[in-house]
Amino acid sequence: MQTVLLVGFPNSGKSTIFNLLSGQFRKVANYSGITVDSAVGEFKTNHQAEQKIKLIDLPGIYNLVPTSIDEAITTASILNLNKVGEKYHLIALVVDLHRFEASLSLALALKKIVGKGLVLILNKDDKKKINIQAQKKLAQLIGLQIITISAKHDDGILLDQFLRAHISAAAIVPQGEFIIGHEQIELLPAIIDNQALKIKAGQEINQQVRAYHEESRRIIKQVFAENKLQSKRTKTLDKILMHPLWGSLFFIFIFYLIFHSIYTWSGPTMDFIDESITAFSNYLGHNIPAGVFNGLITDGIIAGVGGVIIFLPQIMILFFLLSLLEQSGYMARAAVMTDKVMSFFGLNGKAFLPYISGFACAIPGIMAARTIPDKKERMATILTLPFITCSARLPVYVLLIGTFVPATTIAGIFNLQALSFFFLYFLGSFFALIMAKIFRLTYFKGDSTNFIIDLPQYQRPLLKLALKNSYVKGKLFLKKAGTIILGLSIIIWFASTYPTPHTQLTQGKPAAEVAQITLEHSLLGSVGKTIEPVLRPLGMDWKMAVGLLVAMGARELFVSTMGTIYALGDVNEESQGLRNRLKAELNPRTGLPMYNLAVAWSLLIFFVFALQCTSTLAILKKETESWKIPLFMLSYMTLMAYGGSFIAYHLLL
Amino acid sequence: MNAFSLSTIKIGRKVKIENIDGDKNTQLKLLSLGILPGDIIEVTGRGLCGGPISMKHDNGTFFALRRGHAAQIKVIHL
Repeated sequence: MQTVLLVGFPNSGKSTIFNLLSGQFRKVANYSGITVDSAVGEFKTNHQAEQKIKLIDLPGIYNLVPTSIDEAITTASILNLNKVGEKYHLIALVVDLHRFEASLSLALALKKIVGKGLVLILNKDDKKKINIQAQKKLAQLIGLQIITISAKHDDGILLDQFLRAHISAAAIVPQGEFIIGHEQIELLPAIIDNQALKIKAGQEINQQVRAYHEESRRIIKQVFAENKLQSKRTKTLDKILMHPLWGSLFFIFIFYLIFHSIYTWSGPTMDFIDESITAFSNYLGHNIPAGVFNGLITDGIIAGVGGVIIFLPQIMILFFLLSLLEQSGYMARAAVMTDKVMSFFGLNGKAFLPYISGFACAIPGIMAARTIPDKKERMATILTLPFITCSARLPVYVLLIGTFVPATTIAGIFNLQALSFFFLYFLGSFFALIMAKIFRLTYFKGDSTNFIIDLPQYQRPLLKLALKNSYVKGKLFLKKAGTIILGLSIIIWFASTYPTPHTQLTQGKPAAEVAQITLEHSLLGSVGKTIEPVLRPLGMDWKMAVGLLVAMGARELFVSTMGTIYALGDVNEESQGLRNRLKAELNPRTGLPMYNLAVAWSLLIFFVFALQCTSTLAILKKETESWKIPLFMLSYMTLMAYGGSFIAYHLLL
Repeated sequence: MNAFSLSTIKIGRKVKIENIDGDKNTQLKLLSLGILPGDIIEVTGRGLCGGPISMKHDNGTFFALRRGHAAQIKVIHL
């Protein structure tokens, strides 16, 4: 099979072209470099063609000289330095007509090392601006094959034929001399100096980049009488959206609107899912013969997985809205708006998008942090990102706040429960920034590096792409629920059921008490009792210890575990049964209610700070290439959680 | 004509870049975006409390940079 590398500027329409050719969906974004991981797909037409072609969508670059990790992935792939050692047979460079000059200069740099192995796709010609003569002349001047398309409107058949016609039979070997600056060379994983390609580090790099731009300008001048783009709309919009005052107000308004939509829109769907799951569980409970299998299905699997699936609407709405914003070109502006605040905490405006993604889930946030050029700033962002209140913490917050915080109104307008929610969100975000500052002053000490950002032109976002993006993210989320959460739910059920207590202990007792005794004697029960002394200063008993321990796998599991522990089978955070049961639970040593406001806040604060997510640990290991960082994060965040809970408990006691 | 630092230019003013000082990385990043000495740019926005300055290049592209970088770019009024 032959390979085509898809290269181009961030937001040049690469991802739309990838989708067009392979039929697979790839996130399209207007934010500098959101397409962080490269996507691989096969040509749609492969089944009817003799020649089978694979397409690789690489992260966007401005230049062959990388300035961040994601850009380095692209350069390494082009220079054949990537770890997999994959060969390619054609480079298709997507030229953005909105940034024609800079794109052409990248084309010239690429041409120098791969020659005819490069073809150009002129994209965003929505208004058919480039006529045949202009295209011919351009092709002649630059010495490369060119096709003009509009990825938004064309069907991709011509592009498919064009690429098939120009792909080379043999793998392309980059040749000649490749100049790179001393600073950038560190970003490349391995420099294999081969016979054909000489990689040189030197200060000539700036002159070279400049020379390409000047040549690009000369070419454009010969093809078009005037090199002026239609940019009135962007300029007018920027006058308001980038205005010191109106722009800031708009920024606050738009992000408030996002959070507002997430909570109001998702309500009805979440209720619906909740009811369906309960109905399904009841149906199965009645139709499967009572016994081990019934318990495993209803109390283990459905209670565990169901408690997680309920968050699907929120995840999908968040990603739908973020995709609209990214496509529109506003995300890069949001980075500019936040840069000042971020720089105060030793971060970069480019950290804004990772943090915002973190409100849905830390994983996409950690991935998005790859676009941050400076390594130390990137590490400080990653190290603090899990403090951002992700959607997995919600069920725990809903359960505990709903049960123990009274719904009284303060100062006429503020609901005490809503204020508690806001406080928890604020606490997480605030400590994320504070800790980032501490890291930047200590271990990741260093100057605040450059923030120079390309602002794409505003575009009307495509609803179809946003819906597809939200669908893909939803699917990934369900996949996690169907694999990790499912697996853990099964393990938890077994660990909380076996070893079973002696029959004498349970004989003749009501079902609820039997479940209680079973748990006490189970593996999970014994572990909980072992760690109880450690958590007693926080006001917690062994049952809560079990809940916290299980939540180490995934935070959502806390709610379903509490349900199992209190012998109610299928519960979720809205369940009145569990709420009343929690309130009625007595402390065997004092005879007073086990749960009170102090204990509830102690638990809540623990969830604000603790890194309780195996998926995050796994992605951290992948991103930092060792267990050192994830283990460090697990330790420092657990310590902060313990300290925070201790303070909260003793303040409220 | 006197050269000014770009960080002092008001919104709506068009200026010509005379010279880009500063570290090589900043220079390289600007060059890759197609911002060369001799080019004409217009300041389109200035962030609150010393936030980044946003700009429109004469060829129709838009970009933004911190004031610290802007201070290293010397410009002349048109």
